[in-house]
Amino acid sequence: MNPDSPRDDFYRHYAPMPKSYRRFLLVLIPILFLGILAIAAFLPNIHSQLNTGKIQGRQTFEGLLVAEPVPHIIVPRPGNTENGDGFSRYVLSAGNKAGVSQKVLDLAGQWVSMKGLVVSRNQYSMVVGPTAEAIATPEGVTIVNPTDSTDNTSPSEPEPTEAIASPEDVESDSTDATSPSDDSEPAEAIETPKSITIDPTAGISLGEFELEGEILDGKCYPGVMKPGRGKVHRACAIRCISGGIPAVFIVQNDRGESLYFLLEDTEGKAVNDRVLPLVGDRIKISGEVMQYDDMLVVKADPDTYARM
Amino acid sequence: MSVGYKSIQWTKTKLIYDVILIAAIALYVYLFITVSAKLGAEMNIPPVGNAVRIRAYGSAAFVLLHVILSIGPLCRLNDKFLPLLFNRRHMGVTMFVLASIHAAKTLNLYHAAGNLDPIVSLFVGNTEYFNLAAFPFETCGIVALLIFFMMAATSHDFWLTNLTAPIWKALHMGVYAAYALLVGHVTLGALQSHRDPLLTVAVGIGMVWVVGLHLAAALQEAKLDRQSLAVGDADATGFVETGVTVGDIVENRAKIVTISGERVAIFKYDGKIAAVSNVCQHQNGPLGEGKIVDGCITCPWHGYQYLPENGASPPPFTEKIPTFDVRLEGDRIFVKAIPHPAGTTVEPAQIPQSSVG
Repeated sequence: MNPDSPRDDFYRHYAPMPKSYRRFLLVLIPILFLGILAIAAFLPNIHSQLNTGKIQGRQTFEGLLVAEPVPHIIVPRPGNTENGDGFSRYVLSAGNKAGVSQKVLDLAGQWVSMKGLVVSRNQYSMVVGPTAEAIATPEGVTIVNPTDSTDNTSPSEPEPTEAIASPEDVESDSTDATSPSDDSEPAEAIETPKSITIDPTAGISLGEFELEGEILDGKCYPGVMKPGRGKVHRACAIRCISGGIPAVFIVQNDRGESLYFLLEDTEGKAVNDRVLPLVGDRIKISGEVMQYDDMLVVKADPDTYARM
Repeated sequence: MSVGYKSIQWTKTKLIYDVILIAAIALYVYLFITVSAKLGAEMNIPPVGNAVRIRAYGSAAFVLLHVILSIGPLCRLNDKFLPLLFNRRHMGVTMFVLASIHAAKTLNLYHAAGNLDPIVSLFVGNTEYFNLAAFPFETCGIVALLIFFMMAATSHDFWLTNLTAPIWKALHMGVYAAYALLVGHVTLGALQSHRDPLLTVAVGIGMVWVVGLHLAAALQEAKLDRQSLAVGDADATGFVETGVTVGDIVENRAKIVTISGERVAIFKYDGKIAAVSNVCQHQNGPLGEGKIVDGCITCPWHGYQYLPENGASPPPFTEKIPTFDVRLEGDRIFVKAIPHPAGTTVEPAQIPQSSVG
């Protein structure tokens, strides 16, 4: 071999680069960049990081605050609802990985004006980090079994004059006109119901079911986390649920649609601390499915939940 | 080569290397986030900042690790890849930074703002250590990150010199354990939650690439080792016939022979033959694949230099390698099996005029 031939070129990083190395790198580096471009453009397509979970913006609700089985607010739906479900129920949580504040919980059983961030995924919605103040129960609203010691049975003072706010009529910073739940109508359709009775404990039993699905926290799954489910999300969901955020059982029906069930034990209490080892896993729950307005709840002893 | 220690001894090539490296990573992260946002916009979903960034930085670190692991075997297979090798430690430290950003963002999003310290949450969130499918993949990532931290922290030549090259190299071989842990981290984590089979295929291709390259390099190395075995046993004077002739060696280059399990580099230059240990004192680079430049044996990996007569780096540098006695019988080269201590001056064998190749 001729010592001066390109094959005898020798590379030292502190000396001028031999031509043969330069030519090689002029081909190699663009190929590496093209590879990087291809991988960066390809990988986001095969990650499950897109779903319909959305942060809908801060909104105001007026309704009955309920503490059990999980903290939620019952909001009368606007318009003529005599022939259908008259109420929407929105589950509550704090802004961090914790249950809704004690300050809000102290108002359980009362009619409140509540303002919070709405996150929703399909038909499930949650109000995050709400502030609330007790207001007079609207005229014509009768509350039975308010679930705390306060007796709010109407008729109350005829003070309130405002219509009950629908979720989307105030301060929504979302550009999407979709309301947190499918039932909401534009603000102008709102009417104060003439005479309604609210019983937070009045549910309809849909029967005994054996359901297969996954327990997740009710906030991250519809909100900021994507995919917000499965093993990568498990630790977060455990923190959220142990912190007091309601656990949600997600079940896919035969048509691939997601159904969302809240969980209560046989005493009607939240199950949070008793389901932590099962969070994020495929499990089977057998129990009575209760429908409270638009909220589905599985009533079962958490000790009978079984990992699949 | 170093006399004193500087944080980084910048050269123009090193600067260009780092600029290209940073540009490539910035482009990757930007594109990953932009493509994710575009896909979200098409579904009328606002971009989700931190969750996407976690994936962007995590995947960037993982892809970069594949590049880092490929450089070694690629250089064994083709020396034109050597310009990627000399500054590989900057690539490694950059990869550690990317992995750290991934870990910090994950800790903040998944474990902070709860009822436990985030670090504690990281370890107690999932304790299914005896269930493979449910195994806490986070732990694999944490251990890999600790290995990368150890490597990044000891990446400077200060540690290389003080730990000595063999110990330093053994420590840095931890990168393979870290790679295996990261494959576990990805397989038991992301692949279980992101169901697209192409993601599994992508990780599989990466593994086949890394393992395949190393196997190819190892096979070539084994073949060269077989070819380089000295042909004879030591004679009464302790010399071994190497099987190499003067004519086999290109001027200013070397042939490597294995004598008593030790690789020896036999150089030809200026009508002389000299033999030194094949192992560079810096990072144990293969000196026999180097070249004599400016009268010095020059290592192909980082350009460290040694005088062929005494195996010592020219002043003011202080590195030294063992030297060997050389004897010629006609065209045949004989090397004494037992080396001299590093830095010992040895008279090179003079090539008879008739044998100059």
